[in-house]
Amino acid sequence: MMPGVAATRGGEGAVHLRLATIVAGYGALALATCLLAPLVGSTHISLARAFDRSIPFADNVDAQIFFVARMPRVLTGALVGAALAAAGVVMQALLRNPLATPFTLGVSTGAALGAILVITFSATVSVGVFSPVPLASLGGALVASAIVYALATRPGRAMSTMVLLLAGVTLNAFFSALILFVQFLADFTQTYRTVRWLMGDLDVGTFGPIVASLPLVLPAFAMFAVLPRSLNLLSVGADSASTRGVDVGRTQRLAFLSASLATGAAVSLAGPIGFVGIVVPHLVRLMVGVDHRVVLPASALFGAAFLVGCDLVARTVLAPVEVPVGVVTAMLGGPFFLWLLVRKS
Amino acid sequence: MLRADAVSFGYGDSGFLLSDASVAIAPGSLTGLLGPNGCGKTTLLKLMSGVLRPRSGRVVLGERPLTMLTRRELARHVAVVPQETHPAFEYSVTEMVLMGRHPHLGPFQLEGPADFEVARAALEATGTAHLAARNYMTLSGGEKQRVIIASALTQATEILLLDEPTASLDLGYQLDIAGLLARLNRERGVTMVLATHDLNLAASLCNYLVVMRAGRILAQGATGDVLTSAMVRKLYDVDADVQFHQRAGHLTVVPVGRLP
Amino acid sequence: MAARQKKLIAIVAALCASLAWPASGQTARRIVSLVPNVTEMLFAVGAGPQVVGVSTYDDFPPETKALPRVGALLDPDTERIFSLRPDLVIVYGSQGELESQFARAGIRVYAYRHAGVGNVMQTIRDVARLAGRTADGDRVVRELTSQLDAVRMRVRGRPRPRTMLVIGRDAGALRGVYVSGGVGFLHDLLDVAGGDDLFADITRESVQPSSETMIVRAPEVIIELRPGDQPAAAALQRERGVWNLLASVPAVRNNRVHLLYGDYLLSAGPRLGRAAETLARVLHPDAFPVADAAGPRR
Repeated sequence: MMPGVAATRGGEGAVHLRLATIVAGYGALALATCLLAPLVGSTHISLARAFDRSIPFADNVDAQIFFVARMPRVLTGALVGAALAAAGVVMQALLRNPLATPFTLGVSTGAALGAILVITFSATVSVGVFSPVPLASLGGALVASAIVYALATRPGRAMSTMVLLLAGVTLNAFFSALILFVQFLADFTQTYRTVRWLMGDLDVGTFGPIVASLPLVLPAFAMFAVLPRSLNLLSVGADSASTRGVDVGRTQRLAFLSASLATGAAVSLAGPIGFVGIVVPHLVRLMVGVDHRVVLPASALFGAAFLVGCDLVARTVLAPVEVPVGVVTAMLGGPFFLWLLVRKS
Repeated sequence: MLRADAVSFGYGDSGFLLSDASVAIAPGSLTGLLGPNGCGKTTLLKLMSGVLRPRSGRVVLGERPLTMLTRRELARHVAVVPQETHPAFEYSVTEMVLMGRHPHLGPFQLEGPADFEVARAALEATGTAHLAARNYMTLSGGEKQRVIIASALTQATEILLLDEPTASLDLGYQLDIAGLLARLNRERGVTMVLATHDLNLAASLCNYLVVMRAGRILAQGATGDVLTSAMVRKLYDVDADVQFHQRAGHLTVVPVGRLP
Repeated sequence: MAARQKKLIAIVAALCASLAWPASGQTARRIVSLVPNVTEMLFAVGAGPQVVGVSTYDDFPPETKALPRVGALLDPDTERIFSLRPDLVIVYGSQGELESQFARAGIRVYAYRHAGVGNVMQTIRDVARLAGRTADGDRVVRELTSQLDAVRMRVRGRPRPRTMLVIGRDAGALRGVYVSGGVGFLHDLLDVAGGDDLFADITRESVQPSSETMIVRAPEVIIELRPGDQPAAAALQRERGVWNLLASVPAVRNNRVHLLYGDYLLSAGPRLGRAAETLARVLHPDAFPVADAAGPRR
């Protein structure tokens, strides 16, 4: 097991260097994946033709495939993968539990309820560039987060992780029951579409939804940037973090808010894609140690690469049939995770 | 230096865990908060470290009430060694110890050579330098406790608060920790407040005792004055001999029998 | 054997027969239908008065609206069904437990399974026979067949465009797109109407293509089938505009994206003839001269 940023003998001067090297390494991986993924798919395309300006865009099938079908999809995958992985790290620190996921506190169940309500009752309300399903799922996610926050917050005192966890579990159970009820009321096609949404889908087609999610994702990542050292201390204990100078209440609020925003944006963009938020942080910790100052940025970058990779598999392994990406993350992530756990014990 | 003025604390309507407690901690002293379980000594310690806010009364550091200080400022003056530490992730000993540097670092600042030096010195002082690269969770109880003390030392504070520092340790480790604390107090002048139910530890280590029961302070003063058979009887309903032990060099408490 | 013994055996045999096959050969007088398109078939063959209960989703013909509702695929209200004292219940093929329940109670069950146009015709005949309207059943099938044949004749010999038949997608976005695959009544309708199914090679009733698949397969015509009424012009334009994302697809470039509204378009029943004609008018407008602009017969 490798030490984190703080190496011991002879490592003092290399602390900055080690952090920079690790982040640069994962960054390179993410970049490479994002650059290569649009080139690969069930149809062979010619990069030269895709970038050939002399052919009108509307006539250039290679360009259409590259810029309409694949590029937004890869970018969405990177964004969602980074958001879910980082949110997973933060959740695990906040709840002081390595088994926590971005969905533990009910955000994705709220999003699912929002989506299924819109699908079942065929709502067509659009707000500008936002179409009904992403809008409603975002709304559901935010409502769920607000409820859990209200239940767990105690003015002037730190949040109890026990209460937070119980509130999240209760909300999950309650919203899941509501979802089942709504599904019961739905007809054939609506149920089918709901189930399909639940499996995750990165095929956004345009850059619009990606841009629309930035007002949520960017603040979330800004908050992620200031959290790591406080998360280290918080994960040792709330009281001991407090006596070491951490404003525990503020750290918890920031962690909760940033994780909820990132998860809410990810789920409204692509549906609830599982396993990214738990497998990636664990994989990264096995590679770089447990210091959140390394784990958080590395997980975000590795999460981006991981999800783009899973989507690549999803759209090529059984071509021309596309496997939903959530199924691929589960099938790749699950057994790999089991193997790692077995190996460790 | 650190003073509690008539502090009271309780959760909601369930009564008070601590009522009207006043203690003044003199610089360089080794004070023991003594009493049976539930007497309020841990609550008093948490009030003095600022983790809890008193319902009435106040805690003052120097001339300033704790409410006027940020957590960071307070952390540069007061460090706490809790009874148990269960990190959620497998930090190394060095990472655990360096956490004490937090109040001295800027928001994005990484530890520098000076910080590593402080950490190294703390590990040496607690005899745990050879464990620096080890996973904290794999250490023995005594080793863990010494590492936590080391991390409190890296906080470089004048005051150290400890909650049952030897409670779960074997006899040998109890003596080690006691000796370590005595030495730190003597050599570095660290003011210490110790919450314990171990009468002999308090007798061996502390020069000032605050005796508590059922959320109230029964008595406080120099150890020799406060620790008597009468006091033990009052605290625990136990008949005990309190005598100066020649070889040990301090008072000892030997329980003889239960009182009806 | 003595004559009296023979008579006894005959009586017992007849009793057994009538117990074992309670409704065999008898007309169903009280029919409950959980399957909307089969309800439609029953009314079309004149067995409307014999229908005593319908599913939650029934709304055609209008007479069904006054009938008691007994649930549907996921939530059949067995108590309600029993209370209507049916002698025939039409269920979905996948409702196996329900079937056994009714069989135990001695109530006849007809299990409907979804398939192509041929299956629709067979179902019409089956339920007509069960309702004692065999002749009407044959008549309806003949009419439907001739309607479909008429459409086939109209478009015969014309080039068949590669058509993507969309049966569902997310509102306002090109996501969650469902299209008809190479089997099923929608595929058959398209075939009759003179179009080549873009996904004829996929032997499933529905397919979910990605943007890439749609761009690569490049349909010449895109038809969306939607239930209900056509919305206002602005909303319609907005929904059609969603397809502009696939700029290289011939259907988009040649302005051959059609959004068709009407419950009859998605109903596997007697109105298939009308649906086929609607599709054909869209695929081959020049096959329908102005004189026929009155539109498809009801």
